[in-house]
Amino acid sequence: MLTRSEITPPLLEVENLRVNFHTATGIVQAVRGLSFTLGRERLGIVGESGSGKSMTGRAILDLIPPPGEILASKLIFRGQDLQTMDKAARRKLRGRHISMVMQDPKFSLNPVVTVGEQIAEGYRVHHKANRREAKDCSLTMLEAVQIREPARVYDLYPHEVSGGMGQRVMIAMMLIAEPDILIADEPTSALDVTVQLQVLKILDDLVTRRGMGLIFISHDLRLVTSFCDRVIVMYGGKAMETLPAAELVNPASLESRHPYTRGLLACLPSIEHRRAELATISRDPAWLS
Amino acid sequence: MSATVAISVSHLDVRFGDSHVVHDVSFNVGTGESYGIVGESGSGKSTVLRVLAGLNRKWSGDIDILGKRQEKTRNKAFFRNVQMVFQDPYGSLHPKKTVDAALAEPLAIHGIADAERKIGKAIFDVGLPSSFRYRFPHQLSGGQRQRVAIARALVLEPAILLLDEPTSALDVSIQAEVLNLLQALRRERNLTYILVSHDLAVVGHMCERLMVMQLGKAVEEMTASTLSAHAPATSYSQQLLVASAGFRRESA
Repeated sequence: MLTRSEITPPLLEVENLRVNFHTATGIVQAVRGLSFTLGRERLGIVGESGSGKSMTGRAILDLIPPPGEILASKLIFRGQDLQTMDKAARRKLRGRHISMVMQDPKFSLNPVVTVGEQIAEGYRVHHKANRREAKDCSLTMLEAVQIREPARVYDLYPHEVSGGMGQRVMIAMMLIAEPDILIADEPTSALDVTVQLQVLKILDDLVTRRGMGLIFISHDLRLVTSFCDRVIVMYGGKAMETLPAAELVNPASLESRHPYTRGLLACLPSIEHRRAELATISRDPAWLS
Repeated sequence: MSATVAISVSHLDVRFGDSHVVHDVSFNVGTGESYGIVGESGSGKSTVLRVLAGLNRKWSGDIDILGKRQEKTRNKAFFRNVQMVFQDPYGSLHPKKTVDAALAEPLAIHGIADAERKIGKAIFDVGLPSSFRYRFPHQLSGGQRQRVAIARALVLEPAILLLDEPTSALDVSIQAEVLNLLQALRRERNLTYILVSHDLAVVGHMCERLMVMQLGKAVEEMTASTLSAHAPATSYSQQLLVASAGFRRESA
């Protein structure tokens, strides 16, 4: 069966993406030649800290601060070459067509502005709208991310909302512009398991209903497997392998997977199978050559 | 469960002003046992641990630790036996103190001789190379910092270790290493653990028995085998178990 991504042209094409940081002690290669395409699907990027997964998300949005540089042989969003585009055009794209949800609502929201105003601001930047329209639209968006009393929450400050609610506020803020691609960088890592599921369900609905492309960045391979269509496993800035999530659930096909992928799965404690000791990952320098 | 009781808590109640954060919680932990407390944010699990550690002095109820009835304020001998490891390895080490200084402090407070050798041994025991001794926290990774925090707790050779989400700030691969370390240390030294976590899989892996808390109340106490058989008695524990299994598409 053909998935939608195979019929329609991809939203995003990335080929040989590199992110380098020029430091006093030499060049640090955060991402080393990553290639992938994104359709209207849920794509997971999994790896440990320092694997370059967040840098990949930031590079797509041109959010790498100096001394970092972004190099790619191809970086194309819906037929437009992102690399030749000027800064102003790139900024128009950012937030409106490609946007990003950060990990921690505590640090990513403005502490002195009510959450409602922050969502409305997101709307007014990208749409010609007056305050009233922006507020109405924000309230609708808060409802869409399943906040029970949107009118009350609209006037709260970030410190007055819980972690799960803050994360939903950030998702509302990013989605109010109706982007084509949403990059979610560890959107649920700071949340309780039950709240985590609610947030994932909202993201899932949005992908299916609006036909959005989602890049889901996480270090939890099991979670990504249960949520995404395809998974890229990254280590040291390189993709170890790209595989359909369904293959990770199947123990038979798991045997043939990359040792790093198997390591990431094996090191998780399991509720069903208690073991005296957890497997740790042995890393092979040859993976990076 | 072991024959002797290391920690006994009965009818513990904690209030912060008007909010009643822990309601009538009771449990016993045997010597050498590892006991888990699971719950979501705001369930009161960390508060219970902080009361045990003597960090929270407003509570009522009875707490016996190592056979002694505990007062609201604890003395030095208590801290020699009971140590705590906190969640965030980035926040719990002094940024301007080296690993050596961080480990020397508890020894100096308790007037323990032979600090030189004890610090070296503690660093070795948590699996860090000896060259790390004069490093500052910012020169260490998250997993290494958590090892330093564990070393600092262990340098006094306590009998009880209170662990507050010791791995939730770490990557899954580093989590496995830290959990293995904690398991090995417990086996070698017959330590008693209380592990607080929101992650059922971590608690199921580490603990023989566990308590599920919700909104300040103990919902259920069960053994790890009940958990692994997916057979908890209450619907709330069942819900947590389902949520821990990952995302499921309803329409699929």
